[in-house]
Amino acid sequence: MRICSWLGIVGLIGLLAAAGCKDRGSTPSAGAKITFQLNWKPEAEFGGFYAAAQVGAFRRHGLDVEIAPGGSGTPTVQMVGSGTVDFALVSADELIVARARGNPVVALFAVYQTCPQGIMVHASRGLKSLPRLLQSDGTLAIQRGLPYAEFLEKKYGFGRLKIVPAPNGDISLFLHNPGFAQQCFITSEPIQAKRAGSDPRTFLIADAGYNPYTTVLVTRDDYLQAHAQTARAMVLACREGWRAYLDDPRAADALMQKLNPTLDGEVLSASAEAQRSLIETTQTNQHGLGAMTADRWKTLADQLMELKVIDSAVPAERYFADLDSPAGK
Amino acid sequence: MRAWGRILPPAIAFVVGALMLEMAVRWSGVPSYLLPRPSAVCQTLVDDGSELLAALWTTAREALIGFALSAIAGVLIALLLSSARWVQRAFYPYAVFFQTVPIIAIAPLLVIWFRFDLAVIVCAFIVSLFPMIANTLSGLLSTDPALRDLFRLYGAGRLSTMWKLRLPSAVPNILTGLRISGGLAVIGAIVGEFIAGGGLGSVVDEARTQQRTDKVFAAVLLASVLGLALFGLINLMSWLTLRRWHASEQD
Repeated sequence: MRICSWLGIVGLIGLLAAAGCKDRGSTPSAGAKITFQLNWKPEAEFGGFYAAAQVGAFRRHGLDVEIAPGGSGTPTVQMVGSGTVDFALVSADELIVARARGNPVVALFAVYQTCPQGIMVHASRGLKSLPRLLQSDGTLAIQRGLPYAEFLEKKYGFGRLKIVPAPNGDISLFLHNPGFAQQCFITSEPIQAKRAGSDPRTFLIADAGYNPYTTVLVTRDDYLQAHAQTARAMVLACREGWRAYLDDPRAADALMQKLNPTLDGEVLSASAEAQRSLIETTQTNQHGLGAMTADRWKTLADQLMELKVIDSAVPAERYFADLDSPAGK
Repeated sequence: MRAWGRILPPAIAFVVGALMLEMAVRWSGVPSYLLPRPSAVCQTLVDDGSELLAALWTTAREALIGFALSAIAGVLIALLLSSARWVQRAFYPYAVFFQTVPIIAIAPLLVIWFRFDLAVIVCAFIVSLFPMIANTLSGLLSTDPALRDLFRLYGAGRLSTMWKLRLPSAVPNILTGLRISGGLAVIGAIVGEFIAGGGLGSVVDEARTQQRTDKVFAAVLLASVLGLALFGLINLMSWLTLRRWHASEQD
């Protein structure tokens, strides 16, 4: 019996070691199937990617891309880091934290220039600003582990507010309680709440000074080294897809509704409309959709250091790759 | 002396296993955000000790209340089911509902119906109820027929038989049910906390969001320790109540 349990322990450790040694170098070359992992169910925030598939942008650039929808808690940044997928979506602060933990992911294309994260309250409460909300009574549902929550706590404090966990995409508590405020994406929950007859008012976190790029296409450092052309093709295809989606979202919306039957058609088109100003800015008009700057990455890294979410940051250029110039980065 | 004989082997196995795991993780080069070293987990237990202990206390409280409620309710429901054959046939199949309901799916509903911390207790209750019902019922139904006849010969009423014969002879089964329910109550509490917040469940959720895999493991370790402690407590109860007369506690 004792021999069996020793063998069992050794066997288990061997399995774990083998799992960790998974060969990350054998990723497919351009032309082979690429899995692109989303971090939520199909919604307007991914419209441009589905549009890219629909208008044949991926095909035109020689890519065979499978878009894999995610859900609540899909660990996209770890999936890319470990080699399970080669491309995925994360948010900029997630990426900086990942790098600080030794996970070498790098950003290629940022859908949202302005972060759509916000806090949704009932307009009937008459609160004029985010600081006013944070000094009031009532309940606030946020995901405490997220850096923006720590940012708000540090800048304003949560005062008398009762903090509860965020209901992932579910607005029923908001609908039934006038004193309930919750985190949201301005493109999603407030639109659903309005459709359900409620009176939502949203305060953007970006307006409070915390504005990470969001819905960012990422890959790994070593993948980028080995397959720079594929990565560049991906960026160009995504750019075309988002251009097509911004010009006319209807075709991609129909596709996403088929993939995610819980989507309401009206909410979807309202979301697509609401997110325009977050995606297309003067910056993108000059440098193209999805473009990023080292300054904003540096600002974000500094903020995360100040919040003690990370211990050290790398030079801002390491967080993203500018694949626009013909020679790549 | 006997106590050392029981504690030392598993303690040594744990230490050796942890050392081997540490060496395996270091040697294999698995990145720390996928699988942290045991030493990193220990360091987290020290660094974030006060936060983790406070969370442990919250989870322990909620799990224990849910567990106590499910123990009382389980015994009462089993008593009811064992009172007549038709009652058992009619309602026992529905008790299975408590075993099969996917708690992670109804937890958001529980949060809407109850307050946040009450919802966690209800989660722990639901998950740990069925083993109590099943084991108690099994015990109540398997009283020695000879003793039952003896009681009838002496003219004992149904209540007397229940209280003096059937329930005491079901105690070993009840204790088995408690052993199973204890661990399940901890699981139920943590699952509830993912949705409703507080305790080790929310520490795991937060740490996962912050990509602190070492903290996730530390919280999970504490949850296992809690389950183990509950198990040990029930074993102690079992020894105290059964040592004089039941074969299972007599060496």
